[in-house]
Amino acid sequence: MKKLLKLALMGAVASFFAWGCANKEQPETDPYPKTAEQPAPDSTLNYEPIVTDSLSADSLARLEAERLEAERARLEEMINRIMLEDVYFDYDRAELTEAAKVILAQVAEILSNEDRFLVTIEGHTDARGTEDYNITLGARRSTIVRDFLIAYGVDGKKLVSVSYGKERPKVQGTDEEAYSKNRRAHFRVSIQ
Amino acid sequence: MKKMKLLFVLFALMLAVPATAAIDTIAVDVGISVFKTMPIGVLPFEEQGKIKWGGEAPHLILTRDANLSGRFEAVPSDKFDLVLFSKKRARQYVTGNATKLSNGKIKLDCYLYAAETKDLLLGESYTVKPQDVRLAVHSFFDKVVYRLFGERGVATTKLAYVSKIDGVKQVVISDYDGFERRQITHGESISMMPVWQKDNKGLVYVNFRHQRPNLYAISFGGTERALFPQFPQTFSPAVNPKTGELLFAVTDNGKTELYRGDMKSGSAKKFLHLQSNQVSPAWSPFASEVLFTSDRGGSPQVYAVGRDGTDVRRITYMGRYNERASWSPEGDRIVYTSMDEGKMNIYTCALDGTDIVQLTSNAGNNEHPTWSPDGKLIAFASDRGGNYQIYIMRKDGSGVTRITNGVENTSPTWSWFFEDIKVK
Repeated sequence: MKKLLKLALMGAVASFFAWGCANKEQPETDPYPKTAEQPAPDSTLNYEPIVTDSLSADSLARLEAERLEAERARLEEMINRIMLEDVYFDYDRAELTEAAKVILAQVAEILSNEDRFLVTIEGHTDARGTEDYNITLGARRSTIVRDFLIAYGVDGKKLVSVSYGKERPKVQGTDEEAYSKNRRAHFRVSIQ
Repeated sequence: MKKMKLLFVLFALMLAVPATAAIDTIAVDVGISVFKTMPIGVLPFEEQGKIKWGGEAPHLILTRDANLSGRFEAVPSDKFDLVLFSKKRARQYVTGNATKLSNGKIKLDCYLYAAETKDLLLGESYTVKPQDVRLAVHSFFDKVVYRLFGERGVATTKLAYVSKIDGVKQVVISDYDGFERRQITHGESISMMPVWQKDNKGLVYVNFRHQRPNLYAISFGGTERALFPQFPQTFSPAVNPKTGELLFAVTDNGKTELYRGDMKSGSAKKFLHLQSNQVSPAWSPFASEVLFTSDRGGSPQVYAVGRDGTDVRRITYMGRYNERASWSPEGDRIVYTSMDEGKMNIYTCALDGTDIVQLTSNAGNNEHPTWSPDGKLIAFASDRGGNYQIYIMRKDGSGVTRITNGVENTSPTWSWFFEDIKVK
């Protein structure tokens, strides 16, 4: 509730500011996430010159839809970026490589700015070895990724680690090229 | 036998042959049990009226049972042929009569004879629907095993395994020979690691419907329920053959440990208090000890521990990857999967880890061994033919026979003996 109040306040300040220099510069995208209940002030943030004091209800709705669409696209882009960033491991190892740490730092950056994301970290292995042992190996991989993100400042309550063992290979095949792509931690993101 | 070996050693010593060499030779003899199979004649059944067999005719089922059993070697013949039976040393033969009844059923009279005298050793009669012919013939074959060996046969036992159906791993069961297959799970999420509940009442298996591995129990009546939902991730189930209680692996916060739980009450407590990860539990035949895998030495190795969780001792030392051990029903050997240069193969060893015998080699990956309840056979999964299928071999690695086909079949688990199979 406090957060919402804060957001509303910021929105109000921003809109006042925008009103003052509406014709001089285009407003930046609001870095703070907006919820659907946040109505009126934003309408003034739009680029079009304001002809009348009150916009028609029609265009208001259209603008609101556009804003939500932009917000949705932005979130989707972020989610896609996280979900594309698989972290790879060495054979039968669950230690983070230097390359993995670089990727995880970027993911941590996104996640610490976006507290609505609930992230499931899936640990995977290559096809070699037994199903049982590979679930333990996948669990070690997903947990070390989770620990790294927490150490980087991401809220642990937003991170769930699970293991798929060797059950969900990304690439089919029985050569090192396929194996190396399957020894990974994968992110799945849902919005709370 | 032992006496003879002793004599042999004494003889060797007397001859002043290096004694160790002689003893080594004997040790290998004792360690590897080389199967001596008993030839048995198999004749087609006499048919009263034209019978349309739905599947294989009875003598073909008997031939397959004999050759798979690890006890017999079938000597098939179109008619009684004492010369052939003598030459092949088949002292007994099986055959029978089949009569088509007016109600659509088939009456099977099955006989075991002594070849030389034609004495009747065993006679059994079954009146069955055409689709139950296989079960009736399997039943008769187990009686033949009992008559000639005084031990229970496995022709009426079953296998549970994982089959890829429409791209999803599902749990299926079939007769031990791969016939009479039946799909048990149907969901869209992965099902795997099936094991048989006590008395073959149902299965315990792992499903990923909540995007993580969790244990479920399903009865063959069709009811299914989640097991031990108090844990986030559960897998690697092992049913106590005496009490039905479950050992299983729990993964929480990156660490995997073994728990021991009661499936009825849902209560479970930690089985082992070790720093390392533990997985793949397996009970000894009388549930007095447990095998498991631990990475405490830096790589997966097989350990044994008392059923109270004390007295941990390491079993495997050779190689860097020994996993999923399983205790022979006869109690004297352990079978496990070992990985070397990325290839999985099946080995057995004595209870103290010595006397290692490699059962599979140069034939793709071979994994997930499971003992037949009489301890004579081992079923396993292999990709030697291109894709993974289930195979059966004798416990010394001979007589490898593929029993499944299709897209992909893995992770077989052999049932217990069925206490009361009724064929009427």
